[in-house]
Amino acid sequence: MSRDDLSGYGYALLGVAGASLVIALVGRIGHVANISLLYLLVVLWLAAWVGRGPAILASVLAFLAYDLFFISPLFRFVVDDPTEWLSLIALLVTSLVTGQLASAVRDRAREALLSQQRTVTLYGMAQLIASATDHGSLFHDLTQRLLKVFTPSGVTGVAILLPGQGIYPAVRALAAAPGADAEQHALRLNSQSYAAEAAWALEHGETVGETVAHTLSRSSTLSPEAPPGESLVYYIALTSGQRTVGLLAITGKVAIRGLLSPSLSPVTGSNGASALFAACCDQVALAIDRATLQQQAIHAQALDESNQLKDVFLGSVTHDLRTPLASIKAAVTSLLGADVHWSESERREFLESIDQSADRLNRLVGNLLDISRQEAGVGTPEKDWYLIGDVIATVLERLELAGQLQGREVQVDVADDIPLAPMDHTQIEQVLTNLLENALKYSPANLPVRVSAALTTEPEHELEVRVNDEGVGVPASELHAIFDKFYRVHDVRLPWASDRPPTGTGLGLAISDNIIRAHGGRIWAESAPGKGSTFIFRLPIPDETPQGALPDIVPDAEGTTTVAEEEEAPHVE
Amino acid sequence: MSSDDAATDALSDTEQATSGGKARVLVIDDEPEIRRAVQLGLASGEFTVAWSPNGQRGLEMVAQWHPDIVLLDLSLPDMDGIEVTRALRSWSAVPILILSVRSGDTDKITALELGADDYLTKPFSMGELRARISVALRHAAHAATGGVGDSARFTTSGLALDFARRQVLASEREIHLTPTEYEVLKYLAMHAGQVVTHRTLLRAVWGPDYEDEAHYLRVFIGQLRRKIEPEPGRPRYLLTEPGIGYRLRAPE
Repeated sequence: MSRDDLSGYGYALLGVAGASLVIALVGRIGHVANISLLYLLVVLWLAAWVGRGPAILASVLAFLAYDLFFISPLFRFVVDDPTEWLSLIALLVTSLVTGQLASAVRDRAREALLSQQRTVTLYGMAQLIASATDHGSLFHDLTQRLLKVFTPSGVTGVAILLPGQGIYPAVRALAAAPGADAEQHALRLNSQSYAAEAAWALEHGETVGETVAHTLSRSSTLSPEAPPGESLVYYIALTSGQRTVGLLAITGKVAIRGLLSPSLSPVTGSNGASALFAACCDQVALAIDRATLQQQAIHAQALDESNQLKDVFLGSVTHDLRTPLASIKAAVTSLLGADVHWSESERREFLESIDQSADRLNRLVGNLLDISRQEAGVGTPEKDWYLIGDVIATVLERLELAGQLQGREVQVDVADDIPLAPMDHTQIEQVLTNLLENALKYSPANLPVRVSAALTTEPEHELEVRVNDEGVGVPASELHAIFDKFYRVHDVRLPWASDRPPTGTGLGLAISDNIIRAHGGRIWAESAPGKGSTFIFRLPIPDETPQGALPDIVPDAEGTTTVAEEEEAPHVE
Repeated sequence: MSSDDAATDALSDTEQATSGGKARVLVIDDEPEIRRAVQLGLASGEFTVAWSPNGQRGLEMVAQWHPDIVLLDLSLPDMDGIEVTRALRSWSAVPILILSVRSGDTDKITALELGADDYLTKPFSMGELRARISVALRHAAHAATGGVGDSARFTTSGLALDFARRQVLASEREIHLTPTEYEVLKYLAMHAGQVVTHRTLLRAVWGPDYEDEAHYLRVFIGQLRRKIEPEPGRPRYLLTEPGIGYRLRAPE
C-alpha cells in the first residue's frame, strides 16, 4: 500500500474528527436539526477527491463518533432512545451510499480523462508514424514523444533499439529528460553496459529489467524488492505478429515499474498509464515494422533497377569494347598474313585504324572508370581555384593531340573579366571534353563549333560556359532525357555520313550532369533540330574569390631575385 | 625464365651493344608488354634498352649499368615509384621519366617534386616517348656541362629569349615583360620541353613562402600568355599540364 493510499485514510480520520469538533461547538450554541449531515459532507469530499476506501472508513467512523459524542448516554456505544437508532443507521447508510456514488463518478471521470489522454497520445503517435518520411527522424520523434507522455510516470529516458549488424541490438534513437542523472542513465542505454541484456530480450522476445546499481537476475524481472530511489532500466520486446521487431528501453525511478505491471490498484490509476504504455509499445512496433518493410521494398526496387541497368550497360559496353577490338584484330591479322603482299598505303591504312581504335578503347575505359568512380561516390569534386580559360585551352589541346579536331574550326570566346572559380579541373575538363566531342560528332566538318565562357549576374553570380554547334540538333522532347544514363537520341542519321550511325555509350552527358551537379551548378541543352544545339552549364561563383596576386620580384646585381614587397597574398578558401 | 633472368639477359645484351655510343635506357616496369613495346620502339637506332621488373633490381642496375635515362613506372611490385625516385635522387642525377597509367595521379606530382624530370601517361605514342627522352637527355647534357647550356639564347618556333640581353621576341616582335614575368619565362625556358610543377616554379621564382599559391600563378601565367601568345586562349608556347604545372614547348 503506497503512501498516497495511507494518507487518504489519514484524511478520513482528520475529516471525521474535524466534523465532530464543529458539531460539538455548534451544539454548545444551540440545537441545530440534522447537524450530523456535516459528516456526509466529509464523506462526499473523500469519495470525490481521495478515494473509495477512505470514504468507507469515514462513514463508519462518523457512525461511531456520532454515537459516542452526541447520542446519550455519551461516550458509550449504547443508545437510550430507540428513535436515535434510526437516525444513526440513516447516517451510516446515507454516507456509505453517497460515498459509493461519488467515488463511482470520480472513477468514471478519471477513466474518461485517461482514455482521452490515451486517444490523444496514440493519435499523435499514429500521425507521427504516418507522416514520417525518414526512419531516423521518426524514431527520434517517437522517443521524444514517449518521454514527454511518460515523464509523470517516472520515465527519464527512452530508447529504441533495433537488431544490429553484430550480435547486440543497436540504439537507433534516444531521448533523455533534462538533468545530469537522467541523461547519464539514458546514455547507459547507448553503451555496451546492457548490451547482453538487450540481446537477450531481443532474442527471447521478453521484457528484461535491471536496477542500475545492482544487476538483478533475469528471472526477477519485475522484482518489487528494488530499493526506492534507485534507477531502473527495462528492455521491452516489441512484437509485431509473431516476430520481435525491436526493443523499447526505458529508464527511470522505481515508479516506472507500474507501467509494466497491470496488476496494481485500479484506483491509483497506474493501470491507465500501463495500458497506455502497452498501446504505445504496439505503435512503436508498428512503426519499426513499417520502416523495415519500406526499406526492404526500396532495396528490392533498387536491386531490380540496377539489374536492368547492368543489362543495358553490359550490352552497350560489350558492343563498344568489341568494335575497336574487332578492327584492331582485323587489321593486325591482315598485316600478319604471310600470303598477301600489302602496298605501303594499305599498310598505313591498317596501322591508322589500329591507332584510332586504341584511342577509342582508351577513351571508353576512361569513361567507364569515371562512371564507376562516381557510382562509388568517389567523384566528390576536389576543388581549387581555376581559370575556365585554362581548362578550355587544355581540353582543346588534348582533343588536338588525340586527332579529334582534324582541322575543325573551334571558336573560343572567353571574357576577360572572369575571376578564378572553384572547380575540380579534371572533372570540368571531362565535361568540356564530352560536350566538345558531341558537338564535333553531331555537326558537319565544314561548320564551326564554338566555346564561350562569361559571367552572368542573373539570377545569380555564376560562370556560364556554352558549347554550340550547327549540327543535327536534339528533338525538344528528348532534351531532358539525353542527360540520363545510357540514353541515346533515337534514330539519329548524320546526313554527311548516312551510312553509319554515330557511336557512343550514352554515358558522357550523364557523367557531365553528375559532375556539374556535384559542383552545385546545373547543365542543360537548347536545340532546334537541323539548326544545331547549345549545351550550357553554370557554376556558382562564391562572393569571396581570391583577390590577391603574386608580388613583383626585383632581380639584384648578382642576378638573384628577391620578392619586392613582403605582402602575404590573401587566401580565400 | 624468371623476371630476374630476363633482366640480366637484357643487361648482358645491352652491355655488348653499348660500345656504339648509343644512349642507354633503363625501363623499370613490371609489365612485360610495356617493356617489349618500348624495346621494339626504341631499338631502331640511337638507343639500347635494358629492363628491370621491380624497383630493387632497377636501383642496382642504375648503379651497375649507368643508364643515360630511367623510364620508371609508378606502380611496381616491391616498392612504389616514389620510393625509387627518392632512393635514386639520393645518389644519382640520372634523368627520370615517370610512366603513369592515370592522368589524375597525384603520385606523379610527388615524384616530379622529388626530382623526376618528366612524365608520360599510358597509353603514349612512341613519338611522344622519343621526344621526351631526347629533351631529358639534352637537359642532362647541359646540366653536365654546367649552367643553362652553351647557347645564350632560347628559340622555339616564334618565341625567342636572349638571356644575355634579357630580351624576349614573340613572332619577331620585341615583348616588354616585367622582371617577374621574365624570370618565370626564363625558368621555363631553362627547362624547355619538360614539365615544371606549380610548386617548383613558385619556389624558384618567388621563394618557398609562395609554394602554395598555385591559383595566383594561374592568373599570372594568363597575363604572361596575353603578352607572348598570338592566341592566348589556345596557347602555343606556354602549355598547361593540367593539375601539375606548365611546360614551355621544346625547341624544334
